[in-house]
Parts: sequence; C-alpha cells; structure tokens
Amino acid sequence: MISIPDLRVILIDDNEVDLLLHEKLIAIQQISRTVLAFNNANKALEFLSSNITLPRIPPTVILLDIQMPEMDGFDFLEAFDSYPAKIKSQCHVIMVSSSLDYSDISRTYANPMVVKLLKKPLLAKELTSAVAEIFKDFS
Amino acid sequence: MKENRIRILYIDDEVHNLNAFKASFRRSYEIYTANSAQEGKQLLKSIDVHIIIADQKMPVSTGVEFFNEIKDILPDPMRILLTGYTDVEDIIDAINKGHIFSYIKKPWDEHELHRTIQNAFEIYATRKQLKEKIIELEKINDELNRFIYSTSHDLRSPLMSVLGIINLSRLDNSVTDPNGYLNMIEVCIQKLDGFIQKIIEYYRNSRLDVEYEKINFDHLLNECISQFKHQNTAIEFQVTVDQPVDFKGDTFRISVILNNLISNAVKYQKPDEVHPKVNMAVKVEPHKATLVISDNGIGILSEHLNNIFKMFFRSKNNNKPGSGIGLYIVKEALNKIGGTINVESKYGEGTQFEISIPNRNDFDS
Repeated sequence: MISIPDLRVILIDDNEVDLLLHEKLIAIQQISRTVLAFNNANKALEFLSSNITLPRIPPTVILLDIQMPEMDGFDFLEAFDSYPAKIKSQCHVIMVSSSLDYSDISRTYANPMVVKLLKKPLLAKELTSAVAEIFKDFS
Repeated sequence: MKENRIRILYIDDEVHNLNAFKASFRRSYEIYTANSAQEGKQLLKSIDVHIIIADQKMPVSTGVEFFNEIKDILPDPMRILLTGYTDVEDIIDAINKGHIFSYIKKPWDEHELHRTIQNAFEIYATRKQLKEKIIELEKINDELNRFIYSTSHDLRSPLMSVLGIINLSRLDNSVTDPNGYLNMIEVCIQKLDGFIQKIIEYYRNSRLDVEYEKINFDHLLNECISQFKHQNTAIEFQVTVDQPVDFKGDTFRISVILNNLISNAVKYQKPDEVHPKVNMAVKVEPHKATLVISDNGIGILSEHLNNIFKMFFRSKNNNKPGSGIGLYIVKEALNKIGGTINVESKYGEGTQFEISIPNRNDFDS
C-alpha cells in the first residue's frame, strides 16, 4: 500500500486488455484510488494540458506503453517535454513494454523523464516497489 | 520500341554517315539518329536508349562536350565516341569528362563496331541487373528488420497479456481452478515465448554490428545466474573469476552465449541428483578469455555430440522441452566474435563446455 493520499495514476496503452489489467493491479495493490486510462497518447496529452488551470497538480504516476499506433511512447515524451514545469514536475513516468528490442530499452534509459522501465506482464510486486521508490522521500 | 532489342542513338553532323550506319546496323539494333548534339538531347528526353554513339567533330558542340553535358542526367547509357582524328587531348577528355566506354576510329570497321556495341550492352545489362539486385536486397533487409521488430512486439504483446491475466486471477482469487489448468496455460505460454525470444536472439546475432566494450565477468555471470536460479533452487552455483587484466568484448553476444549455456546446465539436471551443481570458471589473459561451464547433469550421448550445434537438433532421449536452437545460436554468436567452443560430456555424469573468446583490449589491437 502506498500512502500518498491524492496520488493518481494515468495509464496510456493502446491495448484494452492491458489497460484493464493494470487498473485492477493498482486497485488490488491499493496504489491509488484515482486511475485514468487512455487508449491513445494524444488523449492523455489533451487531458494533461487541461490540468494547467488546476490550482495544484496532484502527484501523478504515468504508466506509458512504448509501442502504440499514431503516437508511440517516445513521441508522447517528446510532446510532453514542452509542457510547463508546474505539470511536469508532478509527473513520474514508468515505461511499460513487452519489447525486447535493444534500441527501445536503451532509448528508455536515456530519457531523463523516465524513472523506470517495467516489462509486461506487469507484476504486482514490481509495480508497487517502483511507485514506492518514486515517493520514498515524500512520506 | 521493342523491349528486347538494343537501342542505339547515333549522333553525327554528316547525314551520309547516319544513313550508312542505319543501313549496316538496322537489322541488328533499334537505331535512332540525330544530326546535332541539340537534336540528340531532344530525342533522349522521349527515348530510353542503351548505347549512345557520337561523332567527336561536330559544329556547336563536340561529342565529348555532349557526353559531359548529359552524364549527370543520363548516367546509365554506354557511350562510344567516333572520330576521324586521333588527338590525344580528345581521348583524355573523352575518358575523363565524357565517361566513354570505347573510342572508335572513322571510318569504322563493321565487325569491330558490332563487337563494341555487344560488349557495351553486356556491361549495361550487368550494371542494370546489379542495381536491381541492390534495390531488392535493400528492400528485403528492411523487411527483415521490420519483421524482427514486429516479432518482438506484436507476437509477444498478446502473450504477455495472457500471462498478466493469469497473474491477476491468482491475485484476486476470482477463478476456481482445482485441476490447475491456469498453470498449464502459463507453462505453454512461457514455452512459446521462450521460442520467440530465441528467434529474436538469432536474428539479432546475425544482424547487429559487433561492438567491443569492457566486460566484468563476475558481474555478467551473476546477472545470468539470477535469471535462471529460480528454475531449480536446489542447484549450487560456483563462480570463479580470474580477471587480472581488462577484457573487451561484445557484451550482447557474450551474454547470449552464457545465457544459453547456463540455461541448459540448469534445465538438463538429473531429477534424482542430491547435489546438483553448475560450475563456472573464467580466466582472462591479455589476448583471450577462457570460460568453462560444467554441470553434473544428465549429460549428452556421445553419438549426439557432433550434432548439438546444428539448428533444431534435439536429443531424443530426454523429456525436457527445448527448441533445439540454443546451442546453434551459441555457435553462431561465437563465429561472429571469433571465439571457439569445445564440449566434453559423459552420459549420466555431466557436461562441460569450454569457450575461448579473443580479448579485444587496446593493448592487443
């Protein structure tokens, strides 16, 4: 269980089954009560830009899939990089992929916005400890 | 315009030469003529010729000047220069500026000109074939790369979803499964995924450039062991690394080799062995590293030893699941980095692999 009261998780994945799986995992592990699922990266970006008017951005974990049609995970990161620091500083990106592609793996670790790369299938333990690691200084 | 005939454009300012050329060659080739470089250029816009023959001495623009002018827009046709004079300067210019194939003296000898045309066309056709082959190869290469990428993603992604569903069903206890069907599904999926991973490994080994970097064997071996330890927790792993000098090698291929050998050592253990063991010893020298991986597992039948490195070979007297591709990949990866492998095995007692890999450290090269 993670004790950040207003923590929210944004899921970005084109695979509906994985979205559902990850949502359930987060609920079972009691990581967060707020889960926002997007099956396309553009919609997630739109949502994040609508956050700009909020007085305070809640701490956010983004579970980002790498391979998606139209806008993939790396395209998302590139677009998100131009967002105001107010939003970016509250968002922590965990990339999720079934990829074994070397270039994808090294690209993930080369990106400063990504805190971790987790392989599918996402394991409850791994997800919880990755999120706990992000917020270890907060509690 | 017939497809299979050689198409020739002949440019000369003397009309009787054009006519004579046509008379001698029209039965053998498809001939177009022009009486100035200007007219020749116009014709070339609409007709795709294989060979261009031009007279050197023409008013306005000489043969060499003409060839020089068209060489960038029309690099493919073969060029033959005809001239009544043998001026060395002209010949030098023709070769350097006009990229001509051959230089023929006027009046031409019919046989010689025939031969020259035939030779020129042969080169033209060969070059064209080569170009087509290169384009085709580039396309296949590109498709293969996309195939590997999509194998590693599109085929694996649904499998990972299935594994995720199985994991979830265990977490929330929502499925009653007294006969353990979910476990069976999981085992099958993992087997299938293992095979996909081997295919990707194979292609990556054959296509990725070799890259040398510093390798710490202690670290690399422990990383490999941690991947397989859970498959059989009874196994005692022993690692001895003697690395007094730096070692440089291809990390990807060396870890592929170690992964496959250690995975085999773990998999092919005797079911009733009380002290299953896997020993790994590394000795690094300035010019090479020697790795010995041995186990006290089921061993390999001596009549099978010659075949274990062949693609899809599987020993029939064991019930272990395998793709028959692991040791083949080991052998291929060693070929890429200039290494060698030796195997000794006694059926029922164990197997030992000895690998030698060249050290690409800077002192050496």
